[in-house]
Amino acid sequence: MPHLSTIEKYGIPCVFIIFEDQDKCWEEACILNGVPNIRRVWGSRHVPGPEDVATWIDDLMEALVRPLTEEEKNPPKWKVSDPRYIFEGTVLEAQEFFQQEEEIPQLYNNSPICKYTDGLPIVPPTEELVAEMLKGTSHKPDELVTYQTDHPNLGDRINQMGSSGVKGEPVYFMPMRRKATVEKIATIGVMSGCKPEHMPILLAIAEAGGGCGDGRGGGAYVASGPYAKEIKMNFDTNVLGPGNRANRTIGRAAELMWRNLGGNIPNVTNCGVWGSSMNNCIPENDDALPPGWSSIREEYGFKKDESCVVPVHMGFSTRNTEFMPGGYRELQKSGHGGIGRRLGVKGIPGPHNWMEYFIDNLWADGEGGKTFFLLPEMARDLQLYGFKTKNDVYEWLYKKSFMTIKEYRTHQTPDVWTNGWKAIEPTSGKPWKELDEDYMVPAVADPFSNCIIVTGGGEEMALWSGGRGRDSGYSIDNWR
Amino acid sequence: MAKGVYKFLNPVGIQEPVEQHGLAPRLKTLDGARITLSVGAGGEQGILIPLAKMLPERYPQVNWNISYAAPVATKAGSLALDEGKWGEADALIRGVVW
Repeated sequence: MPHLSTIEKYGIPCVFIIFEDQDKCWEEACILNGVPNIRRVWGSRHVPGPEDVATWIDDLMEALVRPLTEEEKNPPKWKVSDPRYIFEGTVLEAQEFFQQEEEIPQLYNNSPICKYTDGLPIVPPTEELVAEMLKGTSHKPDELVTYQTDHPNLGDRINQMGSSGVKGEPVYFMPMRRKATVEKIATIGVMSGCKPEHMPILLAIAEAGGGCGDGRGGGAYVASGPYAKEIKMNFDTNVLGPGNRANRTIGRAAELMWRNLGGNIPNVTNCGVWGSSMNNCIPENDDALPPGWSSIREEYGFKKDESCVVPVHMGFSTRNTEFMPGGYRELQKSGHGGIGRRLGVKGIPGPHNWMEYFIDNLWADGEGGKTFFLLPEMARDLQLYGFKTKNDVYEWLYKKSFMTIKEYRTHQTPDVWTNGWKAIEPTSGKPWKELDEDYMVPAVADPFSNCIIVTGGGEEMALWSGGRGRDSGYSIDNWR
Repeated sequence: MAKGVYKFLNPVGIQEPVEQHGLAPRLKTLDGARITLSVGAGGEQGILIPLAKMLPERYPQVNWNISYAAPVATKAGSLALDEGKWGEADALIRGVVW
């Protein structure tokens, strides 16, 4: 939208084809980008193309010549305000205020949405509680949340919406492109149930864009470094479940940042689909890293005694190892069971590379790197098997991802990012269309697109989700 | 504490006002107009293939330029019309945007 609105501002009349159910998102994006109500027509999600196009093709062309209305020529000003206090009353009244719901008339929105919370009660942010929370950082309350270091790989979409990633520049929270002060982060920390000692990680998460991502929700955050122990995060059994205050409230705060700082309203300011449920902040288990394996912070250039947060994919695309923990143990102890039979190690004690069990299908319906959440025991088995470093695993995954072009062409997303197969295939330097059908291409751009987080505990199960993001880690220590 | 009256701080982010602009003036006529149809990368071929075929058939008086966007994984991917070509277009149609 920033690009499209710029063209309209330049003086080129435009008309766009969108879908009806996304019209409210379109309106909001137009205002945010300074050209309200850019003309559009609605395509159909269901009607076959020629029949669909015939119903609106004349409206499309008419939108380019139909005279502008007075409001289209001179749109009203956008009035905004930012009062420091939002409510005055008793705590009980404040509970009601912050949990208030609003009805937003919009296609598919059939129920109200909470204006300031995730639907659950919050701790009302009195001035006293916020002041207490602010003791957890040396940064001043009125300080704007800015990048503490350079982040050159935020991604085009976030760059286009205003965040430069340049040290000292403000962080803009998506989708509504808003800014925040340290005090607002403390306010959200109070609301979420955080403690003052959580402020450095809350601010690091805010620097990383909060729970907003590019406006459609940002997955989860991994905490790496001694700080996670300082604030008593759980990195053992139930790492994603309820019960640990730090894991849960910090994750919740990221989500409340999306609602309050980003202005997320599903189907209105954000065209997401399923939504992103509240995720715990996930601490890495440093103590359980196998010998030779780096922590996630070291992978991003931090020192071992430093702490950072790293945005990771975690949501509805998360999958788990589809074998029973007992089957895993039998594989490693004796080579018995189905996994051993598939791997051809029947009766041979481990360590075995358990990833072999599902590797052939890992990219069957999607491409790209994977982020694995490994229990210490399962990481240790990989190390004992022969992966002396995490990079060895990343390299192995990359090599295993190769498939023929014939197979690759049955995947959907390459239609998009190969530009209908007209682009250049990176490993050969030749156009995709000129390559033989049996030419082998990787489903993963490079080994480092994969990522391993060692955490959790208990029965032998692993999780994996989308690959490593282009962005790097965010220092927690900078916000102490 | 429940009976006391307190002031509660505002968690909502700081919205910078954005200057609102009017739409670009419309075309006086389609006759001879240079209109670019920018086809979004990988998006909705079911709509855009027939559209690219029907537009020149139905509006032959227009000077059509059908362009195809680059992959979405690059900055160019989101560009409907390269800035260097703005002077060559009297109007723009872009789809499917989302």
